[in-house]
Amino acid sequence: MSLDTQTKLAIYRHFAETGQRPSVEVVAERVRSDVSSVREAFLTLRAQRVLVLEPDGVSIRMAPPFSGVPTQHVVIVDDTKYFANCAWDSFGIPAALHRPAQIHSRCAQSGEQLNLEIGLEGPPSCSWLFHCLVPAARWWDDIVFT
Amino acid sequence: MLFFRSEERVREWCAARGYPMRPLVTMDQLWTLATTWYSTRLQENSRRPQPDEMRSIFTRLGLGGDFWDPQSDSFG
Repeated sequence: MSLDTQTKLAIYRHFAETGQRPSVEVVAERVRSDVSSVREAFLTLRAQRVLVLEPDGVSIRMAPPFSGVPTQHVVIVDDTKYFANCAWDSFGIPAALHRPAQIHSRCAQSGEQLNLEIGLEGPPSCSWLFHCLVPAARWWDDIVFT
Repeated sequence: MLFFRSEERVREWCAARGYPMRPLVTMDQLWTLATTWYSTRLQENSRRPQPDEMRSIFTRLGLGGDFWDPQSDSFG
């Protein structure tokens, strides 16, 4: 398995296990490689749109559906708290983990709380809506804004 | 990519910011998108959908047109 793939898996497993982003040092330890090589793998994964990095080039802002920073979209699976990058990704976390989840978010206009129990088969009947402002062809122009 | 309580709340949000209102997606449609995108994400051979796959996924869900086309040049 390539170092890029090992790095990707190590990052995702760390997120899945802890709800937190791993540092480049932690990933290097998990894949038994040196920090410099793993930093290069981070950049490759960024180029492949697998990761979004902070301006420092090593801190993970997004490993979709996981967010490396707190957001308004909170997902609870078992006893672990995760932050999702957006509404879509809040559903993506239980989908990626194949686990039931509680979604806590809010209406972007009114602030009304959304508390949703997601089962293995998806959400219950629910009249809330999802709205994406940015056209699909422009999502990666500024993925944080998207 | 945000949640809204109703279509009226989306309309208010867009109007307040001068944004166009986009096609609305139900929670069932969103779950299908999430599982399609992410159900293999923690696996070794996972990969992001390619543009033609994305177009097919969206179309199956009734999300067609330029807005959902990942290669559309309609939004300059």
